[in-house]
Amino acid sequence: MKLQMKKYILITVVITGLTSCFTLDDNLFNKSELTEYKLDNYSGDVDFHLDNSFYIQDTMVHLFTLNSKATEESNATTIYALYIGDISKIATDTVIMYCHGNKDHMDFYWQRAKLLANTKSKNRFGVMMIDYRGYGMSEGKPTEDGLYADVDAALKWLKGKGLSNDRLLMYGFSMGTAPATKLSAESYSMKPSKLMLEAPFASAETMIQDGSGLAMPGDFFTTLKINNAEEIKTVTQPFFWIHGEADDFLNIDTHGAVVYSHYSGTYKESHRIPAAGHSTIQTTMGFQPYLKLVGDFITQH
Amino acid sequence: MRTNILLISITTLIYACSPGRYVKPLEKKQQAVNVSLGGPLIKYGAATIPIPFLTANYGYGIDSTLTAFGSANITAALFGNAQVELGVTKQVLKQNKYIPAISISPVLNIIYKNKDAKKLYPQLAINAFWEYGKHKNLIYAGLDNWFELSSKRAYGINQPNHWIFMPMIGHSFNNKKWNFNLEAKIIAPNISNEILVVDYVTPFKTHGALGVYFGCTRKF
Repeated sequence: MKLQMKKYILITVVITGLTSCFTLDDNLFNKSELTEYKLDNYSGDVDFHLDNSFYIQDTMVHLFTLNSKATEESNATTIYALYIGDISKIATDTVIMYCHGNKDHMDFYWQRAKLLANTKSKNRFGVMMIDYRGYGMSEGKPTEDGLYADVDAALKWLKGKGLSNDRLLMYGFSMGTAPATKLSAESYSMKPSKLMLEAPFASAETMIQDGSGLAMPGDFFTTLKINNAEEIKTVTQPFFWIHGEADDFLNIDTHGAVVYSHYSGTYKESHRIPAAGHSTIQTTMGFQPYLKLVGDFITQH
Repeated sequence: MRTNILLISITTLIYACSPGRYVKPLEKKQQAVNVSLGGPLIKYGAATIPIPFLTANYGYGIDSTLTAFGSANITAALFGNAQVELGVTKQVLKQNKYIPAISISPVLNIIYKNKDAKKLYPQLAINAFWEYGKHKNLIYAGLDNWFELSSKRAYGINQPNHWIFMPMIGHSFNNKKWNFNLEAKIIAPNISNEILVVDYVTPFKTHGALGVYFGCTRKF
């Protein structure tokens, strides 16, 4: 009898001892792969569709590849990038670096990027967007360090085209607020002059605590270091925050408001959008009022 | 950012919802090993599935009304966390025909990953149970309670929930050496599940989750 019980206990100990390698890190990335980009012709699910008044001429849409290499990597990863605007005028234009969210690929976010390309007037500002590694047609597997390296690869390309720091604006949406904030706070290829965050998250820990309803340490489930609430403390550039009050995914008070309150730079403005959800700020407040807010921040502060 | 993040919500919630332990105490000096599997029901595509949640448990009958037990959470171990439950079940009232026996189970639920990531959750289960038939099968109902002691969450935000209660009902099929247990539990019906991203199946629609569990016990 004792021998049998020892066997049960031994099995339990062995199972427990052999495990301990899982995290939820990969679940941050909700990517989809593509064989081609369709942009306006994309028929998959998107957050909203723009009418013809927001149309961007084909000659102003440029799809190309970049080589992205994180610090610890020995080989570069090929990622896809999209520039909306006149490439030959980057040396004199102002450019919005748009860091998209964790879902799908650039086709999904095309309408959002196109909307930003209509800020103030059509093609008044250039818009740069990339698919992070593993997203869309970009090669590789998404990682936290890869996010930063991929956005930095875009900044290197812009810098090579003559863009200066004072004409670079950083815009992040949802998961994209992580590279947007990090690359605004720390030393990378370029230093953006302004930072705009739409529906930012505070940290992986806040996400876990919101999800569980308990004050659990984030380390229980993830090794992700993404922490906008801490990173924002070292951002000094003017800061724009917009968040839906009805965001049922990244709660405005536990996520966005924390990031906003931790900013102590030169200028900040907040826009709490009543009745807007995580992905519906633009459609809830209307495209033109949204563009006015963004445009006024870019031109006035 | 939604869909795949749901796993975070699922996993954190199921940490708080293992099945009830030793509703009825073991006999004096009796030992038992139990393995249970189950978790909250969620809608996953067109299907409704339980999230698998595995725990292993050992119990020892101090006397016929008091059993001490310890559990290891295998799912937590998969994430590198040592999660153990240490507790006792004390029978405080004997069954009198249709009036059920009553037991209580105070438990300390300890989760440890490193010096910066550790938690202690006190639990208190109150159980009513009826034995019937020649095998002394068991029907039981009860209320399991979790207590969140932290007043603050990350970045100094007030912790909104300090009491998570879980009404449960179950049945145990018994024979001399083995028990097989089925249990249903409504997890946290006092807490909104609308921000949890996951489509939990629950009688309360916007609150809580419904968990189902299967357990197997070997007695010695």
